[in-house]
Amino acid sequence: MDKRKGYYLIIPAIIIMCIFTLYPLIDGIRVSFTDKSMLKTEYSYIGIDNYKQMFSDPVFWLSLRHSIKLTIIVVILQLIFGLIIAWTMKQEIPGMQIFKSIIMTSWVIPVAATVTIFKFMAQSDVGFINIILKSIGLENLVKYWFGDPKTAFSFIVLLHLWRNVPFYGIAFLAAMQTIPASFYEAAEIDGANAFQSFWYITLPGIRNMIIVMVTIHVLWTFNNFDFIYLATGGGPINKTDVLPVYIYRQSWVNYAAGYGSSIGTIMLLILSVYLIVYLIIQERGEYLR
Amino acid sequence: MIVAYIVVFISLCFFILPMIWIFYCSFRTQESIFTGKIISALEGFTFNNYITILSVTDFPRYFLNSVKISSLVTVISLIVSIFGAYGLSRYHIKGKKIIILGIFSTQMFPQVLMLIPLFLVIFTLNLMDSVLGIVLTQLILVLPFSMWMLKGYFDTIPIDLDNAAEIDGSNLMQRLIYVILPVAEPGVMVVAFYSFVVSWSDYLIVSVISQSQNTATLTLIISRLSSSLLIRWGQVCAVATLTIVPTLILFTFVQKRLIKGLTAGALKE
Repeated sequence: MDKRKGYYLIIPAIIIMCIFTLYPLIDGIRVSFTDKSMLKTEYSYIGIDNYKQMFSDPVFWLSLRHSIKLTIIVVILQLIFGLIIAWTMKQEIPGMQIFKSIIMTSWVIPVAATVTIFKFMAQSDVGFINIILKSIGLENLVKYWFGDPKTAFSFIVLLHLWRNVPFYGIAFLAAMQTIPASFYEAAEIDGANAFQSFWYITLPGIRNMIIVMVTIHVLWTFNNFDFIYLATGGGPINKTDVLPVYIYRQSWVNYAAGYGSSIGTIMLLILSVYLIVYLIIQERGEYLR
Repeated sequence: MIVAYIVVFISLCFFILPMIWIFYCSFRTQESIFTGKIISALEGFTFNNYITILSVTDFPRYFLNSVKISSLVTVISLIVSIFGAYGLSRYHIKGKKIIILGIFSTQMFPQVLMLIPLFLVIFTLNLMDSVLGIVLTQLILVLPFSMWMLKGYFDTIPIDLDNAAEIDGSNLMQRLIYVILPVAEPGVMVVAFYSFVVSWSDYLIVSVISQSQNTATLTLIISRLSSSLLIRWGQVCAVATLTIVPTLILFTFVQKRLIKGLTAGALKE
């Protein structure tokens, strides 16, 4: 085949990726060294002033802590509940086929719609959650759950679980189905109980899938913007502020594009470190096996 | 076994009930919702929420905007990624590995960081507040997955098929349309679905590039509606329902293939 054709074929994709991804990324890093504002066109280079400002900015540190905390909590809980649901879907009980076909719907619908659903359910006067609480006599707990500093963060975690846990379940199930049934039969003959066969056969069998799912979702959760921005906007009193939301606010509400970009650059750095560590561990793992 | 039943029951309550609840409330009057009761009298039910948003508000326009943008993203993403993936799968290209790695690593970049320069690019190209501006920008959300997915599919198709077709005197376009795409149809379907839904769901990019009713999409409107004062919850539920339903309908068509496609990469190793 004509070799040049290969290049022609990939050029459109490369051009789009360069203009709309590579260039914005590099330019974003460049802007982080300027005092650019979204309100005016002229700006000047100010060295690392943005970064100095950032290190003494308490909201930056708070957002960073929240981002890390949210990512760790969300991914661990998703992993646990995902395993439970995958195990359940493997049981042959009537109606399981229907269950499998409807369970992933929460993953497909737009995040903005998810947030709207949960905001409605969390309303203090008309929300489903509070109606239930009232009916079982827990009226003192009734409140707008996203508005309470004590519960807002947990509700953000809940939104993440609601969207992604079924996807974990389906993915783990797919991996579990590749484990030969003879493994389990052999374990049973050797006298292993249900937990032992789960721990020694199922978990190692789906190891790869677990690694892939965790990696994707660490990146997804850490980068996620719309759940928090639409549900709480970072509030109440910064209780749910995370890096993407803080950057967006700095750039598009305070118009401090330079400062926002410097935080974005730090975020990129953190993600790169995560990915490099992940790749190193992957390589080592391949060696050992 | 009993444990499995309990998990199924709790999962249904947690994952499915919220959607049923807003669907249900989209047929209730404001008064009925505000009684704070789950079940209301028959006169509490109405089609007025739907009638109002479809006839009085600008909803149909936003719906059309969403359809227009998502369809364009889907078509362009398909064309670009079919060619790109075919090129990567079939030809010797210098630095192929770096290109592939480069395209996929873009998935980890913080979108909020790229947003300001993207805004300026769109501004420079004079595409602010235009459908094309939104479509071009949203492409970066879907192209990496689309190319990865399709390259995986093309890789499984024997190259003999291409060679046989070439000997028969077909050109590249004919080969793609008559030989490769029919075989790769499941992959193409998955990519089309993925592109459509990601574009349909996007809030971040639209929130920056859209400046007027001409380009506002459903996700933008629905989040505005639910954060205004004095919320007409019945209408919000109706809008939410109409935002969700198209994605669910498409999902039922591709579900099995989608799950296979999404999990194939991790299972191969």
